[in-house]
Amino acid sequence: MSYSFDRVRVLVIEDNQPMLEICKTLILTFGVGEVLTAKNGEEGFKVFCRENPDIIVADWMMEPTDGITMTRRIRNDTLSPNHYVPIILMTGFSEKKRVVQARDAGVTEFLVKPFTARDLYKRISQIIERPRQFVKSDGFFGPDRRRKADPVFNGPFKRESDIAAKAAQSFRKSEASQHLTRLRQDAGLSKTDKIGDKSFEIDME
Amino acid sequence: MTDNKDHYSMKPRRKAEFVTPPNHLKIKVGYGGLTEDILNKAQALLENNTTDFTPLAEMYLDAMMKGIEQAKNPAPNMGTEQIITAILFPGMQLKANGGMFHYELVTQIANRFIQFMEVIETVDEDALEIITAFHTAIRAVILARIKGDGGERGEELMTALVEACTRYFDKNR
Repeated sequence: MSYSFDRVRVLVIEDNQPMLEICKTLILTFGVGEVLTAKNGEEGFKVFCRENPDIIVADWMMEPTDGITMTRRIRNDTLSPNHYVPIILMTGFSEKKRVVQARDAGVTEFLVKPFTARDLYKRISQIIERPRQFVKSDGFFGPDRRRKADPVFNGPFKRESDIAAKAAQSFRKSEASQHLTRLRQDAGLSKTDKIGDKSFEIDME
Repeated sequence: MTDNKDHYSMKPRRKAEFVTPPNHLKIKVGYGGLTEDILNKAQALLENNTTDFTPLAEMYLDAMMKGIEQAKNPAPNMGTEQIITAILFPGMQLKANGGMFHYELVTQIANRFIQFMEVIETVDEDALEIITAFHTAIRAVILARIKGDGGERGEELMTALVEACTRYFDKNR
């Protein structure tokens, strides 16, 4: 059994005609029932409001409205028929600051050009199998920007739900510290002695 | 456990509400993913597309040159970021589209170019020299219609451009 995309409608927004054709062909080859197209963010938003597609695949750099501005409109404009629609943003940029910029605008997935058919499929598959929950806070509305949990995260904890995690982390740190102190005491080491110091090597002979 | 108490009693800096939208897509598409056959067919379509990239590349190269000319004689109201952007964005388009239309060497060169543009702080004479070298290199690849990675010549070209960037950063440390 495999995916059946025949009831799915995808909107592709790209100002570069050959690239638009390539994307459309790829998506149709995946079996998608209908591919709608638009040439820039402005036109794309209108098509989106009229057709309410299931997925949007948009380029970043477009005139007069780029993919980032359009994404913000889709997420926040009262005219938007679906604030949660998955948006895959295509771009040649891969630098971290650009990815962060796109993520902060409310993009669901980031697809770096040039890409392969599998790259595009992987993004679509992520949207289906691992959809992001949405976050509504004072300054942001969009997909949760933290798909991966970072066990060694050292940055500021900003969410209410993070406090429990932070507390658990502090508790683990405190336990580890106490354990280390006990080990030092058992070995007769003072706080300034380094474990692994040559002077404390045991002669096995 | 005193630490924990402190954290529990701490006022959150930002309240975030989480919403899990219904996964209509999953309901529509079902299970199992796409078959290898479909993915191979899609990839073959990508690899066999015969679109001529050169008119598009010329358009981006022209836009890049316009940015270079602007940088040489910037308008009084033009900031550094604006000057960099006018050169960087066409370069990004070359990086993005080259590889999609079989010009992998264009993508490689333009990728280096983007890395250079993303870190420079001013577009001075030295930087313009490097930028022009990138422009010339990409133009040469397009005019000679060098598809793929360009083999040994492509590698030499890349090495020369990387060395030029290194010299620039050594000088402008």
